[in-house]
Amino acid sequence: MNKVLRRQKLTKKYSSRFLIYLILFLFVFIFAFPFYYVFVLSSLDDSEIFTSPPRLFFGTHILENWRILFEQINFGRNFLNSVGIATLSTLFTIFFCTLGGYAFAKYSFKGKKILFTFVLTTLAIPPFLNIIPFFRMMVAFGWYNTWLPLIVPGVANAFGIFLMTQFIGRAVPDEMLEAARIDGFGELGILFRIVFPLAAPGISVLGTITFIGSWNNFLGALILLPKIERTTIPVALSSLRSQSGGGFGAIYIGTALALLPLIIVFLSFSKKIINDFARGSIKG
Amino acid sequence: MLRDGQDIMGSLKSRQRLLPYLFISPFFILFAIFGLYPIGYSVYISFFRWGLTGPSEFMGLRNYGLLFTTDPFFLKSLLNTLILLVTGSLLQHFFAIPLAILLNNQKLKFRHLFRATYFLPFITSTVSIVIIFTQLFDHNFGWINHVLTTLFGIEPIKWFSDPPAIKGALSIMLNWKYIGWNTIIYLAGLQNISPNYYEAARIDGAGTLRQHISITLPLLLPIIFFTITLSIIGGMQIVDEVFVLLGGFEGLGGPQNAGLTTAFYLLYTAFSAGRLGKGAAIAWLLFVVIILMTLINRLVTSRLENR
Amino acid sequence: MGGIMVLLIGCPRQEQGEVAPYDPDQEYTITIGGYGDLERAYSVVVNSAGFKAAFPNITIEFQTSDFNGHHQRLTTIIAAGEETNDIEALEVGFIALFVEGGGLRDLSLSPFNGNEITPQLVPFAVSNATTTEGQLVAMPVDIAPAVFFYREEVVKASGVSIEEIENIRDWNHFIEIGRKLTRDTDGDGEIDQWAIPHASDASLIPLNGGKGGWFDSNNNPLEPAEAFKGSLELVQEIRNAGIDADLGAWSGPWIESFKNGAVAGNMIGAWFGGALKTWIAPEVTDWRVAYLPGKVAASVGGTYLTLPNSSNSQRAAAAWEVIKYLAASPESQLIVFREIDAYPALIEVYEDPVMQEGVDYFGGQQTRLIYADVAQSIPEKTVTPHDSIAASIWGNAVSLVINEETNINEAYDLAKEQILASIE
Repeated sequence: MNKVLRRQKLTKKYSSRFLIYLILFLFVFIFAFPFYYVFVLSSLDDSEIFTSPPRLFFGTHILENWRILFEQINFGRNFLNSVGIATLSTLFTIFFCTLGGYAFAKYSFKGKKILFTFVLTTLAIPPFLNIIPFFRMMVAFGWYNTWLPLIVPGVANAFGIFLMTQFIGRAVPDEMLEAARIDGFGELGILFRIVFPLAAPGISVLGTITFIGSWNNFLGALILLPKIERTTIPVALSSLRSQSGGGFGAIYIGTALALLPLIIVFLSFSKKIINDFARGSIKG
Repeated sequence: MLRDGQDIMGSLKSRQRLLPYLFISPFFILFAIFGLYPIGYSVYISFFRWGLTGPSEFMGLRNYGLLFTTDPFFLKSLLNTLILLVTGSLLQHFFAIPLAILLNNQKLKFRHLFRATYFLPFITSTVSIVIIFTQLFDHNFGWINHVLTTLFGIEPIKWFSDPPAIKGALSIMLNWKYIGWNTIIYLAGLQNISPNYYEAARIDGAGTLRQHISITLPLLLPIIFFTITLSIIGGMQIVDEVFVLLGGFEGLGGPQNAGLTTAFYLLYTAFSAGRLGKGAAIAWLLFVVIILMTLINRLVTSRLENR
Repeated sequence: MGGIMVLLIGCPRQEQGEVAPYDPDQEYTITIGGYGDLERAYSVVVNSAGFKAAFPNITIEFQTSDFNGHHQRLTTIIAAGEETNDIEALEVGFIALFVEGGGLRDLSLSPFNGNEITPQLVPFAVSNATTTEGQLVAMPVDIAPAVFFYREEVVKASGVSIEEIENIRDWNHFIEIGRKLTRDTDGDGEIDQWAIPHASDASLIPLNGGKGGWFDSNNNPLEPAEAFKGSLELVQEIRNAGIDADLGAWSGPWIESFKNGAVAGNMIGAWFGGALKTWIAPEVTDWRVAYLPGKVAASVGGTYLTLPNSSNSQRAAAAWEVIKYLAASPESQLIVFREIDAYPALIEVYEDPVMQEGVDYFGGQQTRLIYADVAQSIPEKTVTPHDSIAASIWGNAVSLVINEETNINEAYDLAKEQILASIE
């Protein structure tokens, strides 16, 4: 009697565990598949890309697509531009957003609440039309055809400050700051020796998001960096897209190559980043 | 000794008064330089009939008024946006929270694999997956219909031409992109909940589901507020998915304008119809709606918190 | 800050400066903004001996993006009143957008005097680049006469003679033939072959040569009503007859249908022949070309070159010389035709021996003569400022009658009402 009950309980336990893994792996499939498929597409020729049922496995045209890609655009140059812009904006964004987040999280000052609300409110402004006046300004500043407009305006952005505020609030204990002050650390010393190291997990989260956002920014780069040799990967790839001439395989290998740095950065740090994200994430 | 301490505290106070302003100043300086002019510009032009090459007539508030009275698409686009906000941007939390709870189990195998892959859709830009999604949703040969017909015997769904199905396709795409992202944030929140809470509940004989409803959700509430705020702000501005699935500006969101979101209508009005003044008016109305929605979210959350 | 803002908002936009005359002895670098294949074709032109001999002093640089990216960039820069590329390409549907408020230079004025060369170009294309007030705002470089591509073997196997498919009398006849072309070829009880990919392919063809003609001379939209209702009726009949495969353009299955026999034909611009040949269906041997039903002449697509008002005035005259070469020199027109199958706008080229040649891919058929014939019969229609709004709303009306079986009058009235409300 007892034995049967226990066995029933065990079967129930195992079948529910099986179900859990089934669900989790189903989501792995759903989330990873389109990603995998970009790489499959990069190995097919144009007529293979558009077949039904779609091809599931790698084809044999990688080298050919590779050749077309490198023949038609200066991929290496555009790649370096993308890396440069994304890296610089990530570094500066981390610095300024951590500063702002630290101030909002750990200092009390007059007008703090209203200033913070203001920062958050700017998040809700639809950005779509701003590109026109922004473009005029960039020309007036002489920043047209430089990296500056893609880096400078976003280095202290509302989202980053919001994120870092929420993060530093919990990751940096007040007692530690007090102790450091009593030990005679200057405020800047505290910032560099305590806040930045303790905020490191949050910083890697913000860094990832900033890098991805900068890397995928199409319209900004298209309008502000018209010279093909100065522009970024997404813009260079869009110059390949044409319906009558095909060349889709080359676009996809370019897309895959453009994803690679993101994947490598993300996968090799993913354990760290996501754990950091976990620890760094917001507690309202 | 005491005096010294007071001195330190005293000079600290004065420095502390200025330092935070210094630290947050980059945002405000950049906002003043790069943000104010564009915002002022778009408020200004919203009072005019403003074409591609400038103003032709002062409209006062009529650009705003006409959107509510004679414009055939604005209110419809707002309704579509609100529907998609629920089915696309809010629904994903019903997936993300349980997934986060499952992933929070320390004994779970492959949890790093799960977490890493769940983040992948966030990396992949919408534009680079056009071909995949149009193939997935193709109503003759797409895999989604293939699965639906062979497994469930459902008639093939016309994802790009049947009005409810258009919303369905857009919702699926949005859920795909952001479920993992929200899962990761919830996971973060869960890791800060002490296991002791559950211990007490278990002793009281509460089942797993009960435990999560009565313990996990309330404790997760601040995070839910944060993620839903981001979902509202992002969900009210959906453009890429519509553009990609429904073929650009050639139609206005498909039959019965089923896929016409307000943000898409804004872009269409400004960049395809060349009416920048009206587009700016749509942008500001959208802004007001977003603020209203976040306030409602704030209100609901604090109600739940005080319960 | 406020003062600066007012200054910036209120500052006069770049006025159309005095256009400096072209000086053949001066070095110029001319930039061309384009999309799709244009750079590929035009770089062959500018590297050709003819161009180099004519313009040893001109260097060309390109800025190329995809179709949507190109037009969105151009809209932004023109709206900002900042300097565009010296030459900007426009798809015909976008001309209207830039005409309103005068974003484009009037090429009929001095020093361009475009009207001196327009008589050499296909009349319908010139009129598509002309506003109702008579401004010439763009130069056609390539056009897209629409034809009926069909598969000879598939048609024959369906019991339709080549004689018949090449002489479709009218749309009713087309639907009748379409029923024969729609069938179950492998006998499994399910239809696997249709006449055309999508019913909406026919929606623009009957309307003013494919250009819509959205507003009549009194600025009333969708007039005469019979023509527009007729088009809606046509697409609904095609769908109800079940002769279209319901394949979305440029989807995988759509492209696949041109090689696996799922469709017997396609009504589309001549450039599609180039895509068939190079990558969509290079291995298929029985694609042929016929006139559209009742020999209706229409165009689907076409490229225009423009000089935006905010382009550099010092180089505008030199840029115009380049445009003239691209649009009105037989050498350039033939190069572009050979490179990307973009059909020439220059009439003189239609007499070129190359136009008489049979095309191997089409089984030696003299397809280019058909294109030329169609091109010269397309009705003329000028552009009006609200064309793009009307076109989008019309697109929705078409999908409504096809997919929702909406009553024609209802859909027409709704579209008309929406257009009137939108242009208010």
